Amino acid sequence: MSVPLESAPHLLAALVDLPFREGYVSSIVYVSLYVSVIAVTLSTLVSIPVAIAMGFRDFRGKQFVKSVINTGMGFPSVVVGLAVLFLVSNQGPLGPLELVFTKQAMIISQFVLATPPITAISLAAIAGVDETVRDAARTLGGTRLDVALVVLKEARYGIATAILAGFGRAISEVGSVLIVGGNITSADGVSKTRTLTTAIQLEARQGQYETAMILGGVLLVLVLAVNAIVVRLGDQGVGR
Amino acid sequence: MLRATDVSRSFGDERVLRELSIGVEAGEVVAVIGPSGVGKTTLLRLLALGLEPDEGTVTVDGTDAWGLDDAERLSVRRRIGMVFQEASLFDASLVRNVEYGLRVRRSWADRLRSELHSVLRSNGTPGAVREALDVVGLADRMAQHAGSLSGGEAQRVSFARALAYDPDVLLLDEPTSDLDPRNTAVIEGAISEARSRGIGVVVATHDMHQAERVADRVGVLLGDSIAEIAPTDVIFENPTDERTRKFISGELVY
Repeated sequence: MSVPLESAPHLLAALVDLPFREGYVSSIVYVSLYVSVIAVTLSTLVSIPVAIAMGFRDFRGKQFVKSVINTGMGFPSVVVGLAVLFLVSNQGPLGPLELVFTKQAMIISQFVLATPPITAISLAAIAGVDETVRDAARTLGGTRLDVALVVLKEARYGIATAILAGFGRAISEVGSVLIVGGNITSADGVSKTRTLTTAIQLEARQGQYETAMILGGVLLVLVLAVNAIVVRLGDQGVGR
Repeated sequence: MLRATDVSRSFGDERVLRELSIGVEAGEVVAVIGPSGVGKTTLLRLLALGLEPDEGTVTVDGTDAWGLDDAERLSVRRRIGMVFQEASLFDASLVRNVEYGLRVRRSWADRLRSELHSVLRSNGTPGAVREALDVVGLADRMAQHAGSLSGGEAQRVSFARALAYDPDVLLLDEPTSDLDPRNTAVIEGAISEARSRGIGVVVATHDMHQAERVADRVGVLLGDSIAEIAPTDVIFENPTDERTRKFISGELVY
């Protein structure tokens, strides 16, 4: 896609006019955040315990599990979308729940996409905590839980990075949410399952480049803001 | 007080310790000397109850620690402190580091309450933390972050961290091998202070002069067992074991 320079005034006009039906952009932002935040929260709740368990003990097949997770980081999102679509379709095992073209289905597919990077990066961070720090916590009288908490705390930057990476993957992902969500708005133009990414894709295809670029700007600002908040929280932790 | 009796320990096919016995009483400093690569660290880990012996027993006040259940062994383990060759401080302030041992001994409700307190306003530093940091000469810097310390200072904090919860026994694994003379002197002073408080100290070192300076008794670990253990002056002036004599005089080179 190339936007000619002459369209700059139009772009400005679009920003001022906001030629959108009321609630169009805000509902899209809401759907994007709702789906990504819930999916990433669920992923984190699953990933961190898995990463701790894998970081703390050796078991048969650990390397295999690791390579499965690493492969998961590279899952093509459209394939995940297709798999989730089969899962929730009428004939699928979750058919009775009628989840096709719903936010719930989008959450499922984003959960599948975000979990591998969050687990893998958290695991690397946890495994990177020096063995001597664990020993210290243990010999100072820490229980297994205390030692795990120390390791989590030492690995907090890496874990924050992991969650950010998962969030980044979820919110900027197009393929699977398009397949399972359907990019739907209701008759009054309010987004039901339309996210920033699928909206951008649609607007660009229809030649609405200004709209697409504004939505792209919103998406960038969102991602930057989330990053800034997490980095700031991490910095505050240092003095403790 | 803390005693290993006839302990053996192997890692895979390699037998590191064989039927070794050693003990420490309250207010006594025992040095374990021996060349690098013998099982000094393994011996200390056995004494710290972090490693189970393949054979033999580790007893605390006559109780076999590995005959206890996990909860009972934890409470026995909490009477022992250990300082490693590397300081391995937590990524936090000196206070947070040194109070760690005290913190994990409190109930969860108590810990949560004091965490909330420390967020709302700065609560006072526990006396034991200040005292322990004072022993290693760092009480005036306790608000600093551990990352801002030199290696020697970090090791001193590591010592204070083990001293703060007033253990009955302190195990020191080559505590000064990476340190300059000044920091070494501070650590050796802290060892004397621990002894005067009635703490039993076991210090593993490859520095014979340090053993001579700080220890009441010295055990010489050669190969996989203690060649001789005796009062310090006996070991250095009149050892009965031939290999000990050769090791002390520098003839026995590993």
